[in-house]
Amino acid sequence: MFTESTFVFIALTAIFAYSFYAVLVAGQLSLGQAGFASLAAFTAASLAPDPGDVGDLPALLIAIVIGMAVGAAAALILGLPTMRLRGVFLAIATLAFAEAVRILIINMEWTGGAQGMSVPKILEPWMAWVVLALVAYWFWRQGPTRYGRALEAIREDELAARAMGIDVGNHRLSAFIAAGAIAGLYGVLWAFYVRLIAPEDFGFAQAIDGLVTAVVGGSTAFVGPLLGSVFLTMVPEVQRAIGIEAGWIRPFLASLLLLLVILFLPGGLASLLPRRAARLVTGSADERAEVESRLSQRVHPTDGQTVVKLQGLGKDYGGVHANRDIDLHITGGEIIGLIGPNGAGKTTLVNMISGMTKPTSGTAEVLGLDPGGVAVHKVAAAGVSRTFQHSKLFARLSALENVMVGGHLVSKPTFLRRMLWLPSARRDERRLAVHAAHCLNRVGLADKEGVKASALSYGDQRRLEIARALASDPSLLILDEPAAGMNHVEADALSDLIGSLAQDGLTILLIEHNVGMVMKTCSRIVVLNFGEVIATGTPEEIANNPAVVEAYLGSSESEDAS
Amino acid sequence: MQQLLNGLFTGSIYALFAIGFTLVFGVLDRLNLAHPAVFAVSAFVGIELVEVAGLSIWLTLPIVFVVGSLLGVIIERVAFRPLKDRPDAHFAGLISSIALAGMFIALLQWRYGPNTRRFPVDSFPSTTFTVFGAHVTLLQVAILVISVLLMVGLSLLVARSRLGRGMRAIAENPTAARVLGINVDRVTMTTFAISSALGAVAGALFAMNVNSAQLGMGTAIELKGLAVIIVGGMGSLPGALVGGLLLGLAEVFAVQYVGSSWRDMVAFGLLFLILLVRPQGLFGARKVREV
Amino acid sequence: MRTNLFKLTAAAGVLALALTACGSDDGGGETDGALAGEGTGDDCVIDGEVAVGAALSLTGAAASYGESQKNGLELAAEDLNEKEGVTYTLTIEDDQTDPRQAISVFEGFVDDGTSIIIGPTLSNTAFQAQPIAQEGSVPVLAISNTAAGITEQGDYIFRNSLTEAQVIPQTVAKAIETYDLQSVIVMYSNDDAFTESGYEVMASSLEESDVTVADTLTFSKSDTDFRALLTEAKNANPDAIFVSGLIEAAIPLVTQARELGIEVPIIGGNGFNNPQLMADAGEAAEGVVVGAAWNSASDNAENTAFLADYEEKFGSQPDQFAAQAYAALHIIDAAVRSGCSAERDAIKEGLGGISDMPTVLGSISINADRDAEHDAVVQVVEGGSFTVLP
Repeated sequence: MFTESTFVFIALTAIFAYSFYAVLVAGQLSLGQAGFASLAAFTAASLAPDPGDVGDLPALLIAIVIGMAVGAAAALILGLPTMRLRGVFLAIATLAFAEAVRILIINMEWTGGAQGMSVPKILEPWMAWVVLALVAYWFWRQGPTRYGRALEAIREDELAARAMGIDVGNHRLSAFIAAGAIAGLYGVLWAFYVRLIAPEDFGFAQAIDGLVTAVVGGSTAFVGPLLGSVFLTMVPEVQRAIGIEAGWIRPFLASLLLLLVILFLPGGLASLLPRRAARLVTGSADERAEVESRLSQRVHPTDGQTVVKLQGLGKDYGGVHANRDIDLHITGGEIIGLIGPNGAGKTTLVNMISGMTKPTSGTAEVLGLDPGGVAVHKVAAAGVSRTFQHSKLFARLSALENVMVGGHLVSKPTFLRRMLWLPSARRDERRLAVHAAHCLNRVGLADKEGVKASALSYGDQRRLEIARALASDPSLLILDEPAAGMNHVEADALSDLIGSLAQDGLTILLIEHNVGMVMKTCSRIVVLNFGEVIATGTPEEIANNPAVVEAYLGSSESEDAS
Repeated sequence: MQQLLNGLFTGSIYALFAIGFTLVFGVLDRLNLAHPAVFAVSAFVGIELVEVAGLSIWLTLPIVFVVGSLLGVIIERVAFRPLKDRPDAHFAGLISSIALAGMFIALLQWRYGPNTRRFPVDSFPSTTFTVFGAHVTLLQVAILVISVLLMVGLSLLVARSRLGRGMRAIAENPTAARVLGINVDRVTMTTFAISSALGAVAGALFAMNVNSAQLGMGTAIELKGLAVIIVGGMGSLPGALVGGLLLGLAEVFAVQYVGSSWRDMVAFGLLFLILLVRPQGLFGARKVREV
Repeated sequence: MRTNLFKLTAAAGVLALALTACGSDDGGGETDGALAGEGTGDDCVIDGEVAVGAALSLTGAAASYGESQKNGLELAAEDLNEKEGVTYTLTIEDDQTDPRQAISVFEGFVDDGTSIIIGPTLSNTAFQAQPIAQEGSVPVLAISNTAAGITEQGDYIFRNSLTEAQVIPQTVAKAIETYDLQSVIVMYSNDDAFTESGYEVMASSLEESDVTVADTLTFSKSDTDFRALLTEAKNANPDAIFVSGLIEAAIPLVTQARELGIEVPIIGGNGFNNPQLMADAGEAAEGVVVGAAWNSASDNAENTAFLADYEEKFGSQPDQFAAQAYAALHIIDAAVRSGCSAERDAIKEGLGGISDMPTVLGSISINADRDAEHDAVVQVVEGGSFTVLP
């Protein structure tokens, strides 16, 4: 049962599964890999030199280069128009591409149509395993890097990832191209092992197999595809070895096993292995100071300098005015409280400021940018960071990893250097870890660093959002109901934290229902009602403003009491 | 004219198949890849009912409908419900439904063997009409009528009934639906049952229409079904109907004007075009992204 | 949840144990000398059991052919084992219509001392798996691979299935002559190696004749709705429709053609040579012409016995796949007995020497290219069964 081909197919199936893993880590479901592999296999098989002339290994290497280039190029061409599609839509679009490739190859003369193309067999088992090792190495090194974490963040919550300054489009496209290159690699290896390639070797069923392998193995840990491949390749071998009669019973048992793994092992086979999470590195006081001075180099607007300037800003949802004619000027170091009854348009307003919603009228300037005119991650890069009314944490990442993603903008790319094992990459990763620990510490979550975000209590999740937002060293910090679900003691601590952040030079925009806290914390308060600003002023002025009392305080004493 | 009718009849089966797909997706946001297996199972079961039990076709179809809905319940209970609270429910559901489909097909091979089967020759009156010089069988007309009736019935159900309101509420927001007192589990299960029942009827009708039932028949139509729901708009019932007919016609005319080798390219070309130009499909509503 | 996990882990452990256990005991290689016997022909006695391996598609897309082949082989093995002298142990493995499995199965057979390998079912898979046997010096008898180039892979590769080039030109010529054809339509499934290679021979035969090919239409092997194509075909008003397709396509294609009012002859190849055609297409199959390697209506002694035995054992009529599989094991028996040895090289020698051997396929010889030669037949469906086209 352990014949040569079993070893080779474990490696090949795993490599193919890695091409699915490459996009699954970023939360993308693509079924186009069979098409990439097909194009790569046929192109490489016809363009690569004859192994008889140049020797087996050089011929294979040249073919691999051709195949990976073809796969990557195909992924780029397919990715440019389709990267804006999500979930099942992307899966079906890429599947359509793969089917189109299959039909094309059937109809072409040079590919040999359905009868396929014969290819010399030059792949030795060791070559397949060396290649597999390199691919696995790639993803092993990719995991704990700025790039790897950004992909995971996109998978967990794309919008939050954008808000952390991650260029989602580029990251998704590069993951897709990596998938294309690896699928191409698989196609070439397959071609140079099985002697004859036919379009049916790269059909829908094969794409599904690849996806199944990656998911069964586990799409969140780099060993997943390998485990999945060992499992799925060995199932028929074991069935044969233990003498299960050939026929319907074998696929039945194989499917049953697959079902059991999926139902009882969330996270795939890889979840059976212990996973090492990023550790909390607090570092010495000196190191902390050094890190903070390195990573927090943003020059915050000082008193009187404009941070936000809104003029006649409005948002209109098909006739319903969420915001109308908002004029607001926020300057450096202010703590602005934004209050108003439910539905007053507070969240819409901060969405416009952070670039997530495009205004329908008026102009906005935030840290020198027009947030409606640029991508969200650029607004973030300019120094706007925020939390969300409904927690948008990266649920399957640990608290520390969440904050490290928050530090995306202040850290350096480490993936390529980590591939080459350069010490500078380790140093940069350590700096980011120290910085993240510092942020966690500031919100009082230092002891929860290894806990998954989804497992934190509600109040801790609110705090973690703040730590994550802080990690990007923002000039403008927008907190959308941070004290929701907190008791008075916790809210007081939060209030102190906000005060100390302002001391550091941050400008803070605080949306909060806890009016007492807003009164205590803020230097200025803006009151919204029915989408319009009805009052602006110091806490005392607001408290004494009859319109505010009428519209808001008077009508919602209960909320104040909570 | 003949080609127009050919396209229409094929299209109506695509539509009936796709409508089950799209119903589950529209309500639950899940792609049920066991749907093609239901399509195949029901054809074989239908054949057995007619051939062995000697039932008339008019009795067989309702039984197939019931069998399909039972399969739907099994699919929901086994492959989807256990996963519903998992963060990767989307991917995991694809895989678990593929696994379940594999089991269905294996069982089918166990029961009936791997050979092609068919409904007995005289199970449906082989009356043929000539309409404007085109040949139309009574069966084809029946298929079109049954498809349209089922789709109209389903649309009414979704639009008018309490169950339909439940479905729409869940499609909007499952958590809110639960808060509103809707029995989400039951509505989910019923949705799967209806979806699979439609897929089952489609399978039996398809087998009758082409005079052949194969283990792989579901896989053969699966890709077309996916194309149809994208073209029509994910989750849109009228979209599935129009998409199915459109695809049926497009294929027929591709054969006529482009060449038969490229026929299958049409489905995918159409699909690709729609995704790029109008990703929400012809009848789908663009979902507003919530922050 | 915890217990489930535990069970799974335990199961995985057992699996791993099983793996190591099985992994250690396959030394395989050539077996002892018991495979060489004494005597010749019918008197040959071999002490050891002769291991025959077959890699067939029992599940997956090609399962229906693999199933027929399996039946044919099992029936033949029963027959042969009743005869004194040589005992065969037939191991039928499933390649799941997947080249990876076929390669793995072939390697298994090469390693465990199997005397000869039969299969695989599909031609493309044959090109992927048979070289393994060639490299391991194990003879292969292909029983359903009709593509060109199968036996060119090496001197250990034989086949008893006629190539398309041996069957189709004769069919085309006969059909043109019988029906006085002027203009025809050709249809084939272009995503299948078997039917595509059949089409190529068909097209070149037609080109050599003075028949006009009005149109060539392609379909997919998974298609079952041919109305659009047939309407196109009908509009060209042909004298006949030539089809290179598998039985899965044949039945719906023939019924739909008749339903659309196409009354001209439909002419098919090996893929159509299946009693299911008449059983499932009924009336519509009448007049369909099938050129094939096996004459199911032949009244030679081998064939009559085969039909009766098959019907008795499996309760259905055999198709060409079953007949070729059945013949294969008999041919192997003749090869083994000719040198009275089941050593791999002896079987190879024996197969090369097969000449004018009576089988269900007719009198068969293996030529210098290791391909089978026997008469092909052109049949027509009449009154619900195949009869030889006069």
